[in-house]
Amino acid sequence: MVIECLVLGAGQEVGKSCVVVTINGKRIMFDCGMHMGYLDHRRYPDFSLISKSHDFTRSLSCIIITHFHLDHIGALPYFTQVCGYNGPIYMTYPTKALAPLMLEDYRKVMVDRRGEEEQFSSEHIVECMKKVTAVDLKQTIQVDEDLQIRAYYAGHVLGAAMFYAKVGDAAIVYTGDYNMTPDRHLGAAQIDRLQLDLVITESTYATTYRDSKYVREREFLKAVHKCVASGGKVLIPTFALGRAQELCMLLDDYWERMNLKVPIYFSAGLTIQANMYYKVLINWTSQKVKDTYATRNAFDFKNVLSFDRSLINAPGACVLFATPGMISGGFSLEVFKQWAPCEKNLVTLPGYCVAGTVGHKLMSAKIPTQIRLDEDVQINIHQLSFSPHTDAKGIMDLVKFLSPKHVILVHGEKPKMVTLKEKIQSELGIQCYLPANSESLCIPTTHHIKAGASDAFVRSCLSPNFKFLKTNSAELDDSHKRTMPLLQVYDDRVSEGILTLQKNQSPKVVNQNEFMEALGVEKHEVKLAHCFRVYIPDSESGDASDCLPSTSRKGSLLHLISEKLCRELPDFDVQDCQEHIQIQSVVVSFCSNEKCPHRTGVSLQSVDKKEVHFCCSWSVADDALAWRIVASIKNLELDT
Amino acid sequence: MEHRLLSVTHSTLREDNNLSPKSAAAVLSLITNPFTSDSTLSSLLEALVLRLHNPNSNSDHQKVLSLLSALSHHHPRLGHRIAAAAHAFILLPSTPTPSLPHALSLLDPAHPFQTDPFSDESLFLSLCFWQCVKTRRWILRNLSKFRVRPSVLITVLLGFTKDPYPYIREAALDGLVMLSNGIVVEDPSLVEGCYFRAVELLFDAEKSVRLSAVRAVSEWGHLLLALKGDKTQREWSDALFVQLCLMIRDTDAEIRVAAFNALGKIRTVSEDILLQTLSKKTLAATKEKKYPGQYTAKLFNIPATAAAFTFVHGLEDEFYQVRRSACHALQMLTVLSAEFSGGAVHVLMDILNDDSMVVRFQALETLHHMAMHDHLKVEESHLHMFFGTLLDNNGLIRSAARKALQFTKLQKLAMFRSCVNGLIKNLELYPQDEAEIFNVLYKIGRTHGKFVTSIIHEVSQELEPSFDGKLSFDKKRTAALLVLAISAPVSLERSICSIPPRIYSYAVTLLGRLSSGLVHVMDQNTLLAYLSHCSKFTVASTSENFEGELLNFDLKNSFTHLWKKSDAFSFPESMELKKVTTPVHGYLLNSHIKATSCVEIVLWKVVELWPLIKLRCMNDVVQTLRSWKEELRNFSCNSRHPAGVLGFALRYLHVIKLLGKAWACYFSQRNLQFTEMGVLEALLHKMESRLKEMLCRHAGLSRGEKLHILELMLVAYTLRLSCGVTSYFEDYINKLKNVLCLVEYLQKEGLVELSHFVNELQNISCEIGHSEDGFIYKLDRLQKSLNLFSLKHIVLSGELKYLDAEVDVCDNEFQNPLPFIPGLPVGIPFDITLYNISSETRLWITTTLGEKSAQFVFLDLSEFGGSNEMRRFTFLSPFFRTPLAKRFSLKVSIAMECLSEDQHFKHCNGPKHELIHLCKGKEVHLSMPVK
Repeated sequence: MVIECLVLGAGQEVGKSCVVVTINGKRIMFDCGMHMGYLDHRRYPDFSLISKSHDFTRSLSCIIITHFHLDHIGALPYFTQVCGYNGPIYMTYPTKALAPLMLEDYRKVMVDRRGEEEQFSSEHIVECMKKVTAVDLKQTIQVDEDLQIRAYYAGHVLGAAMFYAKVGDAAIVYTGDYNMTPDRHLGAAQIDRLQLDLVITESTYATTYRDSKYVREREFLKAVHKCVASGGKVLIPTFALGRAQELCMLLDDYWERMNLKVPIYFSAGLTIQANMYYKVLINWTSQKVKDTYATRNAFDFKNVLSFDRSLINAPGACVLFATPGMISGGFSLEVFKQWAPCEKNLVTLPGYCVAGTVGHKLMSAKIPTQIRLDEDVQINIHQLSFSPHTDAKGIMDLVKFLSPKHVILVHGEKPKMVTLKEKIQSELGIQCYLPANSESLCIPTTHHIKAGASDAFVRSCLSPNFKFLKTNSAELDDSHKRTMPLLQVYDDRVSEGILTLQKNQSPKVVNQNEFMEALGVEKHEVKLAHCFRVYIPDSESGDASDCLPSTSRKGSLLHLISEKLCRELPDFDVQDCQEHIQIQSVVVSFCSNEKCPHRTGVSLQSVDKKEVHFCCSWSVADDALAWRIVASIKNLELDT
Repeated sequence: MEHRLLSVTHSTLREDNNLSPKSAAAVLSLITNPFTSDSTLSSLLEALVLRLHNPNSNSDHQKVLSLLSALSHHHPRLGHRIAAAAHAFILLPSTPTPSLPHALSLLDPAHPFQTDPFSDESLFLSLCFWQCVKTRRWILRNLSKFRVRPSVLITVLLGFTKDPYPYIREAALDGLVMLSNGIVVEDPSLVEGCYFRAVELLFDAEKSVRLSAVRAVSEWGHLLLALKGDKTQREWSDALFVQLCLMIRDTDAEIRVAAFNALGKIRTVSEDILLQTLSKKTLAATKEKKYPGQYTAKLFNIPATAAAFTFVHGLEDEFYQVRRSACHALQMLTVLSAEFSGGAVHVLMDILNDDSMVVRFQALETLHHMAMHDHLKVEESHLHMFFGTLLDNNGLIRSAARKALQFTKLQKLAMFRSCVNGLIKNLELYPQDEAEIFNVLYKIGRTHGKFVTSIIHEVSQELEPSFDGKLSFDKKRTAALLVLAISAPVSLERSICSIPPRIYSYAVTLLGRLSSGLVHVMDQNTLLAYLSHCSKFTVASTSENFEGELLNFDLKNSFTHLWKKSDAFSFPESMELKKVTTPVHGYLLNSHIKATSCVEIVLWKVVELWPLIKLRCMNDVVQTLRSWKEELRNFSCNSRHPAGVLGFALRYLHVIKLLGKAWACYFSQRNLQFTEMGVLEALLHKMESRLKEMLCRHAGLSRGEKLHILELMLVAYTLRLSCGVTSYFEDYINKLKNVLCLVEYLQKEGLVELSHFVNELQNISCEIGHSEDGFIYKLDRLQKSLNLFSLKHIVLSGELKYLDAEVDVCDNEFQNPLPFIPGLPVGIPFDITLYNISSETRLWITTTLGEKSAQFVFLDLSEFGGSNEMRRFTFLSPFFRTPLAKRFSLKVSIAMECLSEDQHFKHCNGPKHELIHLCKGKEVHLSMPVK
């Protein structure tokens, strides 16, 4: 059994996340994003790889969208309405609520401002959203008979989720984008420890180790405060949702504490609308926000006003939140052009900007303070390392926590991903891959076979049956060597069954005792025997006429031997049973059979009366003991 | 109605067929109805018990038992009868195993029956290995009720950690945690087995199992550490630390909290690893290190880098519980390394900005703790955050901030100035904090004398009266600055104080307010005297005139300094030198102080050392005690044995020192190692004999004093018994019982309230009755009883007389021996001086030769003259068994027979009771005359 993983987007790059995973015949598409850096066909994933016939509804079991960012959902209306996918789509409630806003905003920018050809219309968005099934956190959804999916909290943005998918015994987790440290308004990712074959994780910051968020907060506040204190204007380009809310909470708190009166503006109606959604979806925010909710809603910002275009060149200090985040166009670019020539002003840049945007240009020019990009850029730049993505340690921590059998890295830059891949393989010993776009990858999975169990076996499983063994480290092979394994605990109640596979029957586990019966055979035991002679010096009556020792004498001789054995083998229970001596499975008795098949050595016809034969028999397990006993009895002639 | 129901139920209960739900409900209604008469209840009980014991009614034991437990719950007075019935039911051979847990839960383990099912190992084991999971879970959850050998328990628990059911694994781990607190395991491989098994379960899929595993790893890790030798102990401690660090990245908040709690309990960690917990990047020092443990389910070596960023992750956590716990763990660990503290300060200062009050408070506590250990290095960049907390709108936070501030060392004048400004702003915004702010100002002033002087000079204009002659002392700022000013002369920095004396006279006008702020430091009279002393010099002469006394002051204040250190452990405010400094100041002002009042103060302060002892900060305790002893000795001038109350106090301090050491030894070495045992036993032995001496050699002890000493004796015995390995177990049990009798006797004489500790011991002793080895089974209770003990204030009611003796032999020394003839008796002339010994006392001269048994000669005091206060006489004592040697020496001392001790000695013609030596042994040298 294998999991087949076809990467349509975000393979060794950031943008248009889209991975199609086939598990035991079920095909799931995780995310359906678009690339913001391209305007040609490269902006969408190459859907033709899924099905040559373009019958997507039949070839996919479902689509799962992790969150509402365009690089994760941007291509969805196109795929459903234009390409004609008609199957189930799953996303969380907030994603379902916020995604249309994002899509509509994007469509407007594309069509209305740039005058581009429309890829999908408003109706398309509405129709597409009608097909969506909303899910809650940790709610298990049975997509069809075999396919189960479940969402886990991922942080990142409002409503972001990691998805767990299970078909039969194969299970995977697709993380989407996530954050392992909480921020002002969202919590950290939270997931159960699951048995997984594969984890597909983002790796935006595959090699970055971020410092404490407190340092970043302090630096940001300091920079903003310094700017407004000197009468400058602060431009904070952000995505409408997520960072805007976080930074705003931070600033609002700071304004309150420091008693600042400088206005904070939100540029578009969108952000204010988004704030409203945040208020409604408070259940998806961090514990902190939930806790304060009892007294006040943390998204009721006290110092925030909405912005009017006429205020761009108004005198005096201000702070402005504007979209889009990477200054790729739109209002933030407009304001940036206006404010850039003044060196008193400040622009903050997000931690990551897609190549080709103004933000990326600003970043790649040698920072820190003043740069000249075009003729007229004088503005100060503060780079925000606030990021809703986890850093390298976070990725490692999550992978370590989940300990899957394989890891696939997506949504990152190749050189960094290679470093992370090597780290995962060497440090955690987990196989790791980083497929490129359009590449397909097969991963072996666990496959369990169902077996029936007999009643006796089930009964034996119910009662504990543990053993303690002392093992030496030498017994374990080197890779699994532990320096001090010493005492180990085993509970054998399950492992002690016997698996029987018969033709034309399903496999069955039976108890050891039933095994013989099931096979219909008798139990055989291998026994060893040895017959040997011992000279007994006749002490008192040399003239005894009997050729063979008398019965009574035999008895006393046996008794003598058993006493001797008792002395020599103090650890064993020596049973003297008149006719024979028994120690564990070893039975020692006189042998009067002249033609005893076990007799070794030359059998003398004329029997010396001082000579006695002993016959011993034992089972294989007591071989060593038996020979000790034989040696001990043979020594008898020397002793006496 | 009641009767009708009863008759119906009676008939159904007697029948053999199953109890129908309807009749069960009828019985239940009778039970729960508060108006049901006693007779009905009791007949109902009988019927139920009959049915329970009936071997034919197989199938509905559970129903009957649950009815019985309802009955027991609603009518506790029937509990005893129900317990008896359940007990009988358990012993029936026909009883099915699944019914046993239910029946057992009806018993009260505190009242054992003759055949106690709770100590029946075979019953225990059969329940454990019963195939029903529910039964297994019940037994694991109720482990503490069973009195089964620890070796059996540990085996069962260890086995169950492999159970396929997560709840069983969890319960087994909880059981192991419980067990780890009460047992002594000497087999290192067993402890290791448990530890590594718990470590494996840190990777369990079920989070409740992981949570229990964190606790188990912590507890068994500590047991493991105790078993390891000094060399590997550090290594293992680090291994445990790193292993627990792994868990702080669990996605379950509760597990993270538990992990931080466990981290806070670790006592030694390498500095490298601690530093790694603050850095995300791998540090060079930890790069290659690996420890035994488990990194993932497959990897059995844990790299030191697993500790990376632990504390920052914790402090950044989403849940305030985790942040608080992380803060608390930091508090415990910052003690270990100054460099680590230095790094932690940066994060902590940011935490002061946290939105949760609890976290801010804990952060301040941690800072306070760091300051106590001189590990707090405040930098200028921190000041904004740090002093910001002084203006917090929460009073608790402000108070905690001041507490942290008062021991903070500030490097620069500018920092000190902003600190003072912060405090003044605090005072202006929250006048209700005035007293505390004055206190803090005084304290930081004392530690920053130089800065104070320069600040006061800067602002002296402000303090002067305005031109119209009015003093603006009602201004809060002025008052605060005055407090600062008056702290300068007692500065610990020995700087020359050049504050204009008139400032002190201004301060006098605010006497009331100042003294309420400094109430913990000195009282109003002392303050007044001090202020007038400082202000009586005019113009520049202050410094010179004052310097001489300043030195004196500093000397006394080093004592204060010591206090400062001991304050490290969140003490009640009264820990400050409220009274001790009073005599110090007073001394300076030439007021006469009597030794007795000083003794009183010291005895009063001793009580406050108890929390320190409990925290095992013995260095501080010993230092403090030593300084007190020196202080007290000053009064006793030149007498050999400081007499009376003073002597008593000195001995008392000595005993407290022994107690402290023994206590620390006992509690730090719960997993007693042999060498430590020896130390502990020696300490306890010393303490016992000192206590006995105190009891016997002081005439005039009041009942309270006696009880106090007896209680300490009880503590010593309990310590010895509960470490369990003492060689004279029986003896000590008898001793303990004797002392308890004495206590009882003293208690009967007058109504004295006994401490919880003594009460508990009495209870234990009562329960055991006369059985000889009963105490062995009560060891855990004995151990627990120790937690009830706390040191009380001993009040000396009157004059005490010290029973003392001196013995000497005229002109006898090694060079000048007494003559003797081998084999013949020799007479030795002793010069004996006795102090405070009444004529009824049975005194003996004990003479020992080498290690051999002693010879006793009785001293009949009535034969000698002199008063009780002092007797001096010469006594010719014979020594009979002179050895066949040319010369030898004897050890002679005077001993008093201690009548209160019951122990009989088997010396013929010798003392019948235990002896207390009244003087040190005196060597007497004898030699054959040279012809």
